[in-house]
Amino acid sequence: MLLTLDTADNRPLHEQVAGAIRRAIAEGECAAGDRLPPARELSRALGVNANTVLRGLRSLRDEGLLEFRRGRGVTVAQGAARRSVLVDRVRDLVTEAARLGYAKADLIEMIRVAP
Amino acid sequence: MTGETGETGETGETGETGETGETKETRESGGENGSARWAALGWVAGVLALLLALPLLTAGRLPDRVATHWDAVSGRPDGSMPLWAAAVFPALIWAVVSAVVAVAHGRPGRATAWGGTVLLSLGVALAGAQAAIVRANMDHAHWQDADSVTPWVVGALAAGASAGAAAALVARRRTPRGARPTDLPRMDVPPDRRVVWLASASNPWLQALAAVAGAVALVALVLTAAGVTDPLWALIAPLALVSVLTAACASVQVLVTERGLRVSFGPLGRPARRWRPADIESAHAEHRTPAQVGGWGYRLSGLGTTVMLRAGECLVIRAKGRNFAVSVDDAERGAALLNAVAGRRPT
Repeated sequence: MLLTLDTADNRPLHEQVAGAIRRAIAEGECAAGDRLPPARELSRALGVNANTVLRGLRSLRDEGLLEFRRGRGVTVAQGAARRSVLVDRVRDLVTEAARLGYAKADLIEMIRVAP
Repeated sequence: MTGETGETGETGETGETGETGETKETRESGGENGSARWAALGWVAGVLALLLALPLLTAGRLPDRVATHWDAVSGRPDGSMPLWAAAVFPALIWAVVSAVVAVAHGRPGRATAWGGTVLLSLGVALAGAQAAIVRANMDHAHWQDADSVTPWVVGALAAGASAGAAAALVARRRTPRGARPTDLPRMDVPPDRRVVWLASASNPWLQALAAVAGAVALVALVLTAAGVTDPLWALIAPLALVSVLTAACASVQVLVTERGLRVSFGPLGRPARRWRPADIESAHAEHRTPAQVGGWGYRLSGLGTTVMLRAGECLVIRAKGRNFAVSVDDAERGAALLNAVAGRRPT
């Protein structure tokens, strides 16, 4: 799989790791059910600490993109590609809302009343 | 990513739309393989026809039973077969050997070094021997009167051996030893991006073998430690070694970054081999089979070093004048990134 990082990105490292993997899933680099490379290999590839990689992977699990399975390592969840695209747009939306002075709660309210 | 086929097509399609750009197609066309296949099939069919036709077409001038075996010392015939058997027997040998070569090469007539050598030398030798037998029996009423075949058989064997040697030489010359494709795949990496490529491959049979050897060694170790049996070190030591070595050869992780190529072996990722970008002369993807490199695992052959876990796409690099290959999926893009990292322009 091909992982792309933005060198100008100044977000925290674990978010960059999560972003790179989210993007790889969205672009079909790894399909549902595929096993991700071990954290050790990812940390070597991305040039970040293994704990940082694990933190990034955990946030992707919380988003429902990855599954952690004992003995099978970390696998891509079913429907992760579609979901990752949506999650990415939600993140953009939250960022944009924050820039314009709206809190997440305001955004949730807007989504709730949206047709 | 983990080696399941089927997903690769989708991966390639969507991957190419990313900012990393398209990789150049360097898959070799099936043309040369196809013509070699037809040539091999033609040779097999031609020799088969010759082996059958030689005795059958000259049946009118041959005895009912033909001499098929000669005493090595006196040169007198000492064995015979009915005419039909003399026609069918060599043809049968030829058909079986051809089938074995075809099966060993995955599909009929796919030319690789040893298959071509075997087919060419055996075909020449069999046809020569058959001609010698027919000539020796010709115009004799009884097989006991047949002429000596010694010089003819020696000639047929020599012709077969030289044909085989010629085939091996040609095959070696055509094998891309140190050759590199002229159009190397190369990926465009935008300056504000860091792109890395990860791939892995494993062979479940080797993993199972490592597990079984390890388990037996462990049981023997427990029995020894518990004092149930005499110390079984002669069993434990080699099995433990086999288990560790097989496990190291059973799976591989390949990583391409701006620091070059890293290939790590086994479940622990150790040992590992590294190449710096400056050391890598070129990289490309190539189709290789275990038959070409002499089996599975860490192989040394005329093609250089190959880490062979399954037949199919391999990432091949040329570094410090040597070839190194590892069988992983998506090798085309790995090679493209490696060429980009090493800063080469496509030629």
